[in-house]
Amino acid sequence: MRVTFWGVRGSIPAPGAAAAGVGGNTSCVQITTADETEVILDAGTGIRELGAALAGRCRVVHILLTHLHLDHIQGLMFFAPLFDPSVEVTIWGPTSGQHGLRENLARYISNPLSPIEIRELPAHVSFEDASRPAWELGGLEVRAALIAHRGLTLGYRLSSERASLCYLPDHEPGLGVDLDSLDAAWISGYALARNASLLIHDAQYEDDEYRARRGWGHSSLSDAVTFARRSGCRRAMLFHHDPAHDDRRLEAIGARAAALWDGSGATGSIELAREGQAIELAG
Amino acid sequence: MAEPEEQPLELILARNLLAIISLAAILVDVDGTIVFYNDAAGEILGTRFEEMGRIPAERWTAELGPFDQHGARLPQEGLPLNVALRQGRPGYGRFYTSVDAGLIPVEATALPLIGPAGLHGALVVFWSLEGEDPA
Repeated sequence: MRVTFWGVRGSIPAPGAAAAGVGGNTSCVQITTADETEVILDAGTGIRELGAALAGRCRVVHILLTHLHLDHIQGLMFFAPLFDPSVEVTIWGPTSGQHGLRENLARYISNPLSPIEIRELPAHVSFEDASRPAWELGGLEVRAALIAHRGLTLGYRLSSERASLCYLPDHEPGLGVDLDSLDAAWISGYALARNASLLIHDAQYEDDEYRARRGWGHSSLSDAVTFARRSGCRRAMLFHHDPAHDDRRLEAIGARAAALWDGSGATGSIELAREGQAIELAG
Repeated sequence: MAEPEEQPLELILARNLLAIISLAAILVDVDGTIVFYNDAAGEILGTRFEEMGRIPAERWTAELGPFDQHGARLPQEGLPLNVALRQGRPGYGRFYTSVDAGLIPVEATALPLIGPAGLHGALVVFWSLEGEDPA
């Protein structure tokens, strides 16, 4: 599977030259399977450019939403395939006991927040509850599970025969616990991330920032590194960068992460996720 | 029964809370197995969870109760945990539990942990009524 990062930022886009190196668009990751099925993780502002790249080239798209915070759905209304009547788009995501996925998304794609209504989207759009046992998309097994974040939030694992990707963009597994010593079965997201070929994980805050933001649903750098090490992943990519962190600061964060990783004796690698980056995962 | 690869998030978050509060509390899964209790509960029960580990329902009900004041087992129906796990609503009750020092009266409230996928277990807070009549 081919993995392409179209948005790596958290909370709100970070436009401008100071953030252009790592990228300013919010969460969006494209997975292209061996049979060319397009699976998109989250619909932050990065999905706009992805949509432009896909326009006229694909007929079936699956969008897996982790949750419905605005930075993960803001780009939906600007995703070109949704305006092409020949395209089938399936949107997967969490469903609360009170409201369905379509109903929740319609709160954003409706008057007065939007000039169009969700029923007016020209594409063939369907909505699926992702809270189910594993299912298959384009030859990949997809698994979803609730993870620790504010509000109903899913993490995903996509697996082929030879490679697996775990996507936990908004995740605070270390809230109130010591991730180093906790039994693995009691770590949020562990089963999804275990031994993944590639782990994409929240690392929004530096450790000193985290102290004032505990419980906001995001990880400190130390917790992100510890979670990645405990998971046994082969490659970890730090994601959901804070909008206040410019390129210079993010490069320093990336260097600290690498030092923590090396100092822990973990195998594999850790790095910053960057907009525009593409990775080929075997299988 | 072996511990699952990952506990449901509802139990994980409840354990995180229990681990930092000073009110005695235990966490049970949907089968009634004690999967965690905090230090405050350990002080009443006489053993820390780290020493005990998971305790199947048959074992802890035999050892800890609930009992009446004479040490006879109480019927499960109507007891707080049973209400939480069987009826999916909060339960409250007073009874005796057996600890190293003998029978002590306690008061307990059990809250069912119900998420989008259904019932995952219950959180039980309890406190000692020593010196009071729990009847």
